[in-house]
Amino acid sequence: MQSKNPLTRLAPIFLAGTMTVSVPSWAAVQNDGWNPVVSERLIKLPANYLKKAVDHDFSKSALAAAIADNRELTKLKTLTLRDLQSAIEGAEGELRIELRHQFLAEKRAYLELVARTQDLRRRQADTKIKLYSRMLDKLGAKTAAMTPQRAALVEKQKAAQKRFQSSIGAVDMKLFGNAAMTQSKYSQEYAKNVASIERLVAAIESHPMNRRAEIDGQAVSKQDYLRQIITKAEADVALLDQEETVLGYMAKLIALDAMALSDAVVADELAPGAAPVAQGASVNAAIDLFVTR
Amino acid sequence: MMKKFRPILLTAICCAVGAVSAQAGTLENLERERAIVLDAYLDQALKPAERQSKTQVSRTRLIDLERMVLRDKSLAGKNTPRVRKAFDNYDLTFLVHASTEANRSVLDHWLEQIGVSTHSLMNTRLGRR
Repeated sequence: MQSKNPLTRLAPIFLAGTMTVSVPSWAAVQNDGWNPVVSERLIKLPANYLKKAVDHDFSKSALAAAIADNRELTKLKTLTLRDLQSAIEGAEGELRIELRHQFLAEKRAYLELVARTQDLRRRQADTKIKLYSRMLDKLGAKTAAMTPQRAALVEKQKAAQKRFQSSIGAVDMKLFGNAAMTQSKYSQEYAKNVASIERLVAAIESHPMNRRAEIDGQAVSKQDYLRQIITKAEADVALLDQEETVLGYMAKLIALDAMALSDAVVADELAPGAAPVAQGASVNAAIDLFVTR
Repeated sequence: MMKKFRPILLTAICCAVGAVSAQAGTLENLERERAIVLDAYLDQALKPAERQSKTQVSRTRLIDLERMVLRDKSLAGKNTPRVRKAFDNYDLTFLVHASTEANRSVLDHWLEQIGVSTHSLMNTRLGRR
């Protein structure tokens, strides 16, 4: 059952108007999750495809669904607010007050929705930052795992490969140039396979999905690309902080509007001929209760 | 009862040993083949024709094995004493390729690498210790 007194009905709007931004809706937050895992397989993906894989994973998460739902609700709420605003312009008297009250209540609901969307978007940005930072750490750990001894071994292996590649033609000519020695089955099959592999490698190189990640048209390393994504996510968080300030000001405006409305309601309720109640009358009448024993 | 099972047990052990040896890597196979080639070169009991045919077969196998090791991606950065030792000296590990590069016979190249050259042999003196 609704209270008849408009002041009593406006009280929650004062309070809620000031509290909307600061209190996150925890109950709802806990149901919407996105928990991506940094797997070896994910790290090995080409940088471009890696971002797509993460975005695809996010699009299938409950968090993405919650953000989409909230955005849709916010859109509908904006339409409701516009309708109410135009209705107020054409209304008068009690109906106008009633509509103004409803307008304030809807504004409060709108702020709650926007705050919730912001909260979800912040969670998305934070998760992204954590995910890509972990990827960067893992990539760094792989480089750091190279001990001096192992690095020396890798260098020697590279040198051996280089020497082998530079001499293989001459060695083949000397060894198999004369009829006395023929190439083994392994050598023949290997040569055939190498030709096939080279064709496949060429196809992979020219494949559009295998293009190196680019920032502003410049090809960059996977680490640089990940850092760029982290920077973008951090920029999103900074923008959300700013949007939160905007929401704070909106909430304050709602509170002020509610106060203005309550003032208007009080002014209307006071009859033109009624004498104002003496400020100290009620307190003076009670003095006797305190001084007598 | 135990006697009945003994042949089965032996067969199982042989199969297990066979499976283990079949899992030997490219590097282990190369080392084994190189040892066989060097043994054939140094074996005094072999006649020149026998040595020739034996080393010829092993040399072809050795070429393939050396290439297999150099192309084996599983050895890249595998920090074990065996792999470290193998890549410490290209000339000793990849004997056929290195000797062909140097225009020397396999035996000459091997002796050179372990520090036995014609010059050092000519400088030796027979004496009593």
